[in-house]
Amino acid sequence: MSLLELKGVKKIYQQGKIEVPALRGVDLIVEQGEFSTIFGPSGSGKTTLLNMIGCLDTPTEGEIRLNGNKVSDLSRKALAMTRRFNIGFVFQSYNLIPVLTAYENVEFAIRLIDHTSELKIKERVLQILEEVGLKGLENRRPNELSGGESQRVAIARALVKEPKLVLADEPTANLDSKNATDVVKIMVKMNKELGTTFIFSTHDPMVMEYTHRYINLKDGMISADERRG
Amino acid sequence: MVIAFAFFGYLFMDSVMGGMEEMSFSNIKNYDTGNIQVAYPEYWEDREKLPLENLIYLNQDIVDSIKNMDGILGVSPELRFKANLNNGIDETVVLGLGISPEQYNEVFATQNYIIEGSMFSPGESKAVIGVKLAELMDLKINDYITLLVRTKEDTFNTIDVEITGLLNTPNPMINNGVVFVPLDIAQQALNVDNGFSLLALKTASGDEDKIGKVLMDSFKDKDLELQAYSWRESAESIIALSTAKKGGIGTILSVVLLIGMIGIINNVILSALERTGEIGMMKALGMREWEIVFVFMVEATGIGILGGLAGCLIGFAGVGLMAKYGFGFNVMGIDISEYGIPILDKIYGTWNYPAFSFLFILSVTVALLSSIVPAYWAAHKDPVKAIYHR
Repeated sequence: MSLLELKGVKKIYQQGKIEVPALRGVDLIVEQGEFSTIFGPSGSGKTTLLNMIGCLDTPTEGEIRLNGNKVSDLSRKALAMTRRFNIGFVFQSYNLIPVLTAYENVEFAIRLIDHTSELKIKERVLQILEEVGLKGLENRRPNELSGGESQRVAIARALVKEPKLVLADEPTANLDSKNATDVVKIMVKMNKELGTTFIFSTHDPMVMEYTHRYINLKDGMISADERRG
Repeated sequence: MVIAFAFFGYLFMDSVMGGMEEMSFSNIKNYDTGNIQVAYPEYWEDREKLPLENLIYLNQDIVDSIKNMDGILGVSPELRFKANLNNGIDETVVLGLGISPEQYNEVFATQNYIIEGSMFSPGESKAVIGVKLAELMDLKINDYITLLVRTKEDTFNTIDVEITGLLNTPNPMINNGVVFVPLDIAQQALNVDNGFSLLALKTASGDEDKIGKVLMDSFKDKDLELQAYSWRESAESIIALSTAKKGGIGTILSVVLLIGMIGIINNVILSALERTGEIGMMKALGMREWEIVFVFMVEATGIGILGGLAGCLIGFAGVGLMAKYGFGFNVMGIDISEYGIPILDKIYGTWNYPAFSFLFILSVTVALLSSIVPAYWAAHKDPVKAIYHR
């Protein structure tokens, strides 16, 4: 069973009386442990596709299966639980909670799924922050962190719960090349060590250098889907 | 801060009003009515007209009923009558009060406020008047005045008396329009023999109702038609004012509540608008709507707790200052006695501790309840729109 299956997924946005198609019928299968990139020009539907995969949005037509479960059949609660336990998100604008420290932002995500031991949670949060290179910056708030550091906190937050699937929407768009490379390397490491599936949406050629699969999206349809050894 | 200042306003207002009420009641009891008044019901009904009918004539039964009663600290007979005070040039209507000074002293604190001269003795053709009345009629100690009265038989008579003392009591009603004369002089001039209008009784504060009831039973046992009236029945207008005050306080409280609710709703909505991206992220992290609602409600409750605490603290300081130093309306050139409030001096605030607890609980409850709808609105946002909101 594939981790993710999309069959004929269409998404049409209604803007007043005009229908704007964002996805025109996407078929895609993603296996566990893949490190893939969805690329394409602005407006090609990359973000819409990621939102569908991440159970944040629903298709107008077609079917999405995650772990074999048809997403459209899931209740709101089940969708929230799927996001909580199985999916990690990394966004271009980090979306960190400004009043929480780096540690607390990461802790917030794991507290939603782990109610066991305080000590275990602390160890896990400190460990993931160290892995993303933020040791010593745990008590800084987002406004005291650089763009690269903030994005690392966002990555740590997505990875701390060890989800099966991480969706990263333009994760390097706001970063300089060094920080961008560091961030992608962290994700490559997680992919190798934990077998986490990553799907990126990006324009960044540097990110594509690290990925094994390139999915080219054009006008809401997959125009190319290539794998690299 | 809005909530804090609104609550401070309420607590301060409540304290001032409470102080005003307490002082008004105290001034009525100590300088006007005593704790209980004993009179015939027919007299009581017409008492505003100051009739010379249905007066009390002491007999052994009445004396026994009152003298044997525990808890009565003083008894003072009063003969109340209408009079025109004439200073030789001008004339004004006053309330004449025939009193027996020694007994009057047992019930009222008036004599402590003689600021010039002294109280008369029984049988002396002398009078004590308030300073305000003296100012109005351009009178001073040792001046002679004439009180033009109507006798029981409705014939005119005069009481010529020398002013022997000037009063300045905390009760402006006494200072402005009362002339005290010896009871026997008044009785003689009004031709009422030994009759008097009523007996003013002093009791321990709070015992009025209990003692009044026992007195009534005693009168009934002795087939006396006399009735005992609590000071509250003499102070109906002030109590009506106090009731109106409570209505006013209720209005203030409603406004305070409204301000608090609008403040909190506004705060939650603004917070939700500012934190749209955050809400989207919470949804992406897998939080359910009720959990997000809960987050906002906890925050709003925190605001309520802080606002309530701040309001209570500022209120505590304000009421404390008001209770210690008081506030004189005369500083602002306002004579509140003109509005029917029998207070001449400063008004001191009173402590109403339950109001503090009430407001604090109210603050938290209002914060909690008024946050539900905007919090639900915030939590119900489309996660995609929320995440990519700029």
